[in-house]
Amino acid sequence: MAVDDVIRLLTTNPVYRDRVVHTEIIEPGPPQYGTLDTPLSDSIISYLDQNGIRLYSHQCDAINRIRAGKNVILTTPTASGKTLAFNIPVFTALNADPEARALYLYPTKALSNDQLATLEQMAHYTGISAKPAIYDGDTPQSRRAAIRDNSRIIISNPHEIHQVLSWHMKWRPLFANLRYIVIDEAHRYRGVFGSHIAMLMRRLSRLCLHYGSRPQFILSTATLANPVEFSQRLTGHPFELVNGNGSPHGRKHFVLYNPFYDGVGERSTHQETKDLLVSCVKNNLQTLCFTGSRKMAELVTLWAREDARRFSAQLADTICAYRAGYLPEDRRAIETHLKEGVMKGVVSTNALELGIDIGSLDAVIISGYPGTMMSTWQQAGRAGRKGDVSLALLVAQANPLDQYFMNHPEQFFSRSHEHAIVDTENPYIVSGHLLCAAAELPLREDADREFFGDSFPQLLPELASTDLVRKTARGWVYSGRGRAADLVSLGGIPGETFRIMCHGRLIETMDRAQAYREAHKGAILLHQGEMYLVKEMDLETHTVRVTEADVNYYTQPLKEVDLAIIETLETRELNGVKCAFGVVEVTEQYTGYKIKRGDTIIGVEPLTLPPLTFRTKAFWLIPSPDTEQNVLKGNLDFAGGLHGAEHAIIALMPLHVMCDRRDIGGLSSAAYGENGEPVIFVYDGYEGGIGLAEKAFEILPDLFATAHALVRDCRCDDGCPSCIYSPKCGNDNQPLDKIATTLILGELCKEPEKSESAGYVDAAGVVFS
Amino acid sequence: MAGSLYVHFLIAILTMAATHAPARIGSLWHQRMQTLKEYEVVRDGNIFGTSFSNSVVFSSEYDQARQQLDHLISSYQDRSFETVFSGKEVSNECGNCYSLTTPHPLHPPAFDLDHYQNTIMRDLTLVRGIGRATEKRLRARGYQTLYDLTGHPKYRSHVQPVIDCMCSEDSHDIMDLVGRRHAKSHPLVLGAAGLHELQDYVFLDLETMGLFSRPIILFGIGVIENGALNVYQYLLRDIADEQAALKETIRHLSGERKALVTFNGKAFDLPYLNDRLGYYGMDTPASTRIPHFDVLHFSRRRWRNQFPSLRLTALEREILHIHREDDIPGQMVPEFYETYLRTGNCGPLVPIVEHNRQDIISLALLFFHLMGESYGC
Repeated sequence: MAVDDVIRLLTTNPVYRDRVVHTEIIEPGPPQYGTLDTPLSDSIISYLDQNGIRLYSHQCDAINRIRAGKNVILTTPTASGKTLAFNIPVFTALNADPEARALYLYPTKALSNDQLATLEQMAHYTGISAKPAIYDGDTPQSRRAAIRDNSRIIISNPHEIHQVLSWHMKWRPLFANLRYIVIDEAHRYRGVFGSHIAMLMRRLSRLCLHYGSRPQFILSTATLANPVEFSQRLTGHPFELVNGNGSPHGRKHFVLYNPFYDGVGERSTHQETKDLLVSCVKNNLQTLCFTGSRKMAELVTLWAREDARRFSAQLADTICAYRAGYLPEDRRAIETHLKEGVMKGVVSTNALELGIDIGSLDAVIISGYPGTMMSTWQQAGRAGRKGDVSLALLVAQANPLDQYFMNHPEQFFSRSHEHAIVDTENPYIVSGHLLCAAAELPLREDADREFFGDSFPQLLPELASTDLVRKTARGWVYSGRGRAADLVSLGGIPGETFRIMCHGRLIETMDRAQAYREAHKGAILLHQGEMYLVKEMDLETHTVRVTEADVNYYTQPLKEVDLAIIETLETRELNGVKCAFGVVEVTEQYTGYKIKRGDTIIGVEPLTLPPLTFRTKAFWLIPSPDTEQNVLKGNLDFAGGLHGAEHAIIALMPLHVMCDRRDIGGLSSAAYGENGEPVIFVYDGYEGGIGLAEKAFEILPDLFATAHALVRDCRCDDGCPSCIYSPKCGNDNQPLDKIATTLILGELCKEPEKSESAGYVDAAGVVFS
Repeated sequence: MAGSLYVHFLIAILTMAATHAPARIGSLWHQRMQTLKEYEVVRDGNIFGTSFSNSVVFSSEYDQARQQLDHLISSYQDRSFETVFSGKEVSNECGNCYSLTTPHPLHPPAFDLDHYQNTIMRDLTLVRGIGRATEKRLRARGYQTLYDLTGHPKYRSHVQPVIDCMCSEDSHDIMDLVGRRHAKSHPLVLGAAGLHELQDYVFLDLETMGLFSRPIILFGIGVIENGALNVYQYLLRDIADEQAALKETIRHLSGERKALVTFNGKAFDLPYLNDRLGYYGMDTPASTRIPHFDVLHFSRRRWRNQFPSLRLTALEREILHIHREDDIPGQMVPEFYETYLRTGNCGPLVPIVEHNRQDIISLALLFFHLMGESYGC
């Protein structure tokens, strides 16, 4: 068995042996089958028989509940047959009612393509006329009307749905007969993005009701701590949970691999990743490799192909990169090659992270901890699909977070999964979708409470004050001069697109921030493993001109972040600490780029790009001079304390304001601005702000108290990922000082004297505190 | 354990807190609106720039329109809607709206119906299975008209439905049949309009807040009554008027033999109208079978490659020798109307109403020009 060969290699090869710090063996499990409450139709039974499928217990459970009319959320692992569990009741409904229709939502094009193939095959075998089709940005104009009118299963994505809802008249056949809305990989829709999707689902439900349908929701997600609460918030409907996994799984070897085991690290994580990838591919393991950035995906591919070419040119051709920016036809070719087994090694960012059923993959290499346990297990779950033995490798980076896991494997394999947070009350998000809803159908203060809650009418006069909606006898009517759906960006990402042109041919597109990062003048841009030199970046026409290049170096941009207070809107004082809320301007400036060969810097060139600036809302706090003195007296690092406090506060923001920590940014300084005061900023990571810092400012004492408790009660000595290390820290978690952090946070939530708040005494005289 | 208790506690608190509207939300969205562009301003004479997108405004036009806007704002200060626009309020079951009516003299050319019908009857290619080559062969063998073909052993069964259709004088069916055998912009399709009386024509042009999913702010309708072209305009005093104005517009389109005439109405005005009717949950026009003559399509076929632009304003200049003064680019209508909504000053509406009225007149003239060219007598 090839997997065993690689495992043997890992334990015997002296280079690998030292770096393998832990191997967790996940034991195989046998299948558990289930029974259905009502028998399936003959055509579906024969489809299952022809494909040799016997339904597992969780599949039967899901099918039974869906057929009983319940909204169901499935949380069983990748490759446990979730897709079949919802496809069966959908096809059953389509078979029983010739008008019935279903809508499937997928977060990525890769997943949509894969589901299309599955559905087409099922329609073909069962003879049920589902006419599945993808309707998204890539769908040719000429096919759109026919899909809207005739397809009974439409596969799309939230961005497309957001755009098409205002054309609902054209979608009458779908909306009038919609039985099921399937949201696969629903855990993607959390945090700010999730909150947008939650409002989008309410807009969709509202239009369905307008045309006379009340579709059932079926969700599938990765393992979450709060699946039922999450799905209810996301859709606005009650849910039932299906989670017991009846599918068999093969033995999995999960290896923690530390290039920095000796505290030095001869070579970078990415170089080590490349070596492991080549070893796997050489041993004929079909391997998926995840890197943190698209750039690293390209580099690892390039290096691995070079290495493999020394072995054989054919082998080199079996390794390629995959990422979201590729043109649709390129992506599809890679997906097909992967499935057919022509491709052996695919290096990807998270575009391929989730759920496409690409058949048997033998190994997964995760280059650097992806930031959440949920992502880690999702990625590792891509190995070992057919019950065979499989291999998952986590290659650590040098940062403290990855190193912490390398030193505490037991923490890594026991850490619980995260809560997925969706906020349906954030007025900034809600108001945008109210504008869209008012452009779809007049908003009625009474009838639309069902979808937007009891308090939404309070937002309408505010929107009317700038003439975005007008009150009429029929309800509130959208009256802005731009398209409402164009105002609202579901991810909060601005819509500017740069075109990358090579000799007049478009090779890819990227947004401004990415273009500045990867396609500035002089940059070596990697596309499909090929190198291009950027000759010119035209900021006016948003065009980047490149030529093919054959060089032995790569480039890395240098960035400075700055933050300016524009307006202080509110201030308050907590235990002598000045806190403020207001408008800030965050500026990212690319000042130059490093030219590197391998891990060596061979040159630095300046860049003259305009700064990327966005205004947002922030709260900030200025610790008192006494605290600073206390920290310095203790011979502690004050800057490290401020930085640690910033991280701890950001880490606990999601507890309080319901968001994802990635939606928030922070900046701390021991001497900020003209006064040279110490300060900690926490800001919304979105243009214009999205109300997160604003809401946090209202509940600062709670926020500080929990942040303090988090750090104080953490059992580590010098700070760890459970307290002050941040997985998204722009400074690699440097500097950090845990004791100073505890002192600073302690001052923020200084408890009043014992006598004033020693808990309370209940009737029986027992003290609670 | 303590952590998870805390989570539940906080969720409870947050759920209880009602969404209050922070005072900055309206202006936040308003600011975002300013960054949306539905047209590009390009350098004058940059013909190349216009090929990328239909929605371009030359910078001189743009600057002139902005100046005009400022001028209108100051000269119409404190003038009420009713004094600027002398019209009347109309009421229907959907509410009230404001109607302006202006008559324009019109001298449509006489239509040579015989000529049209003879041309049709001599066009053997209208019969399924007959192309140009077959037609030539048939003619050589004595089949000159459709009637002759009724005796043809092969085509006799196919020709009867064509003759029936032509004799029915149902313009919708004739357009459909001719459009399928030829192009939809074929002069014989336009000629079907000659089967209508002058009072059947409804010339329609809408001014809107942008490209779909937004209110129609001015409904312009031209109807020929007593030998003159009467332009009816339903101008929204507020968005609340839209539904009643839609109703009035539908009323103009309802009737036995109405024929709709537009410029680019197949792609824009008619779907837009249906879109707004659907928005208010109103029925779509009584008859979706209403024959629709989109003059843009006939103009394209007639003048393609002759003029750099086939926009209505360009054609009226080239063909009808009409020169507009103080006109604003159509793309800028939304921001003019928005200024009216925001300030209550109806100055910005003046050029919109004028622009729309001229569009209706030019549309009618261009339509009759094309008709006259083909079938005038």
